[in-house]
Amino acid sequence: MDKKRFRPGTRRLVQLYAALLYNANLKGYIDGHIYTGNLKSVCVPGFNCYSCPGAIASCPLGSLQNALNAAGHTAPWYVLGILALFGVILGRTICGWICPLGLIQELLHKIPTPKIRKGRVTRILSYLKYVFLAVFVIAIPVWFGVGKDVILPAFCKFICPAGTLEGAVGYLQHPANSTSFFQLGAVFTNKWVIMCVIGLACVFCYRTFCRFICPLGAIYGFFNRFAVTGVKVNPDRCNGCGLCVSKCQMDIRHVGDHECISCGKCIDTCAQGAISLKCGKITLKGPEIGKNADPEPVVRKRKQAGRIAWGIAIAALVFAVAWFNFIEPAISKADVPAAAVTETQPPETTSAPEATAVPETPAAPEETAEPETTTAPVTDTSSLTVGSEVGNLLPDFTTDLLNGETFRLSDHRGQVVIINFWGTTCAPCVAELPYYEQLKVAYPDVEILAIHNRAGAKKAKDFLADKGWDHLDFALDSKEKGLLPLLNAADAMPQTIILDRQGVVTYNAQAPLTYEKLETLYKNALAH
Amino acid sequence: MERKKIFLITQSLLCALVAGLLAGIALYLYFEGAAKQAGGDLFYYSFTREKAGRALLIVLPVFAVSLGLTIAGLVLGIRDENADKPVRDPHGMRDAGALREKAVHQKATSKVITLRVAVLVLAAALIVAGILNGGLEDVLAKGAAICTECIGLG
Repeated sequence: MDKKRFRPGTRRLVQLYAALLYNANLKGYIDGHIYTGNLKSVCVPGFNCYSCPGAIASCPLGSLQNALNAAGHTAPWYVLGILALFGVILGRTICGWICPLGLIQELLHKIPTPKIRKGRVTRILSYLKYVFLAVFVIAIPVWFGVGKDVILPAFCKFICPAGTLEGAVGYLQHPANSTSFFQLGAVFTNKWVIMCVIGLACVFCYRTFCRFICPLGAIYGFFNRFAVTGVKVNPDRCNGCGLCVSKCQMDIRHVGDHECISCGKCIDTCAQGAISLKCGKITLKGPEIGKNADPEPVVRKRKQAGRIAWGIAIAALVFAVAWFNFIEPAISKADVPAAAVTETQPPETTSAPEATAVPETPAAPEETAEPETTTAPVTDTSSLTVGSEVGNLLPDFTTDLLNGETFRLSDHRGQVVIINFWGTTCAPCVAELPYYEQLKVAYPDVEILAIHNRAGAKKAKDFLADKGWDHLDFALDSKEKGLLPLLNAADAMPQTIILDRQGVVTYNAQAPLTYEKLETLYKNALAH
Repeated sequence: MERKKIFLITQSLLCALVAGLLAGIALYLYFEGAAKQAGGDLFYYSFTREKAGRALLIVLPVFAVSLGLTIAGLVLGIRDENADKPVRDPHGMRDAGALREKAVHQKATSKVITLRVAVLVLAAALIVAGILNGGLEDVLAKGAAICTECIGLG
């Protein structure tokens, strides 16, 4: 058996390393929560969904769409600057070496099947990614964001397979996020089918997504010709045989053009030793065989430097894993600030609310038409478990409202209370808030509290200024208040908790509601 | 037909079957749910954890066979040999002179270096401007909560 065939090359190891480093929040897969610390304000260079439970930083493409979407309020300088920085330093070397989606595509291509080789058709198709960039990443987000004030990151929403695979599958796999399944509908089905098609195409055709669809690759391609890092050709050695181009699996016209991902395969292909992978004047990989091979001492020195770099990189990875899983302050997600709980909280029969990790509807939803009516009517609530699951007594809390008043849950005993968790950056949340307003107008007795997620809460007040949702009570969460952890809210929004007149949870799910559903749920809680 | 070819074609069919099943089941669940919702069942959910689990159980045997074949193929070194063959004159326009010319252009001339520095300075200026205008906080706000649109939930 050829053992060398199974030995991963340096590039594969770097790809694996990058994928692990981008997703160093490993405990996210275990507890079902995403990382919410300050590093999320920075983008990683490669394609990695920021809603993936493991992700420690943001996706550059998602951030770009979000920034363009909000261009009417805030100019997107930050994300453009980050992309320009990555582009000029690394260019499409990012695609070839440190993109997790590139790694997945290459692994799929390893499956032994007949392969589709590049040609005129694939070359033409390679321009398709510029269409995706222009339409889904730029035009639609700007048109809807600036023109209509609607949140619509079109590429993320309709196409991105990274979001489906890393984000949705990564998030939904955890039992704590079971109610998020209720949100899945046409958008998810569309994206799931697209992911299956792209995945299948990658088996037969090398890096299908990267070559024909990826808008991020299209952006970095603009920088490729003058990027500091990349595959460079020595014109004094090149005899123009074209073997580099004909053996390359990407649709390049020449080495180092906008399609070149600097994978470095051509370095070994070139009999003239004319090609090398460089970072400025430093040669990262050069010709090691043939008539123009680098001298032995130079190769040895380079390998030694490589070993030192790997040592530093592994130390950094170990530190990152330790930091994001055990040390980082943002991991105290489940900590419930005592200040948020009022003194009148009823005696608890079980542990604190953070222990009730699974907000669920009461029964298997496909078998029940009205999932909120399984608990028996209760008159004495003191025997109930305090928590956020259906049938639990929601813990009492106090919070300041945006209108200057104070909200205290126990003051609303005798009323149906609806607590909605939302965010200005969450399109379904913003879309459903008018239904809550409509409900409050139709049924003045209901108490509706809309709590904004702590992320981006500063901008919520301005956002609400011209919305006219005057009948709702709005509160902002913060790290100090810790309302979301107290009520065991999930990372995904929107989430709605409905309490009957005794404060018992009758509904709790991470799913957007229509007016009809909301009204039905309200009436059920009222009849409880 | 040679054995290798049969192996590769079988594996192709299995991959297509896995992808087709995964996509087909999602479509089935969605349309079934949509029909029930259209029929007035407001709280009928197209997708649930239980349904997803049952669907995966259908795909699992095919996936397992495909995975087994993949491992066997990799160990035995079965692959499409044509995949590595050079594509002759892929764009029908390359000649030795043109390729060498491109290589000369690519060399880090003073023009390229100036461009790099200019873009680096511009990038730094944009980042600083972005931090000052609140762009950094916007990225954090989107990244620190699940982006339901991004992952196909909303």
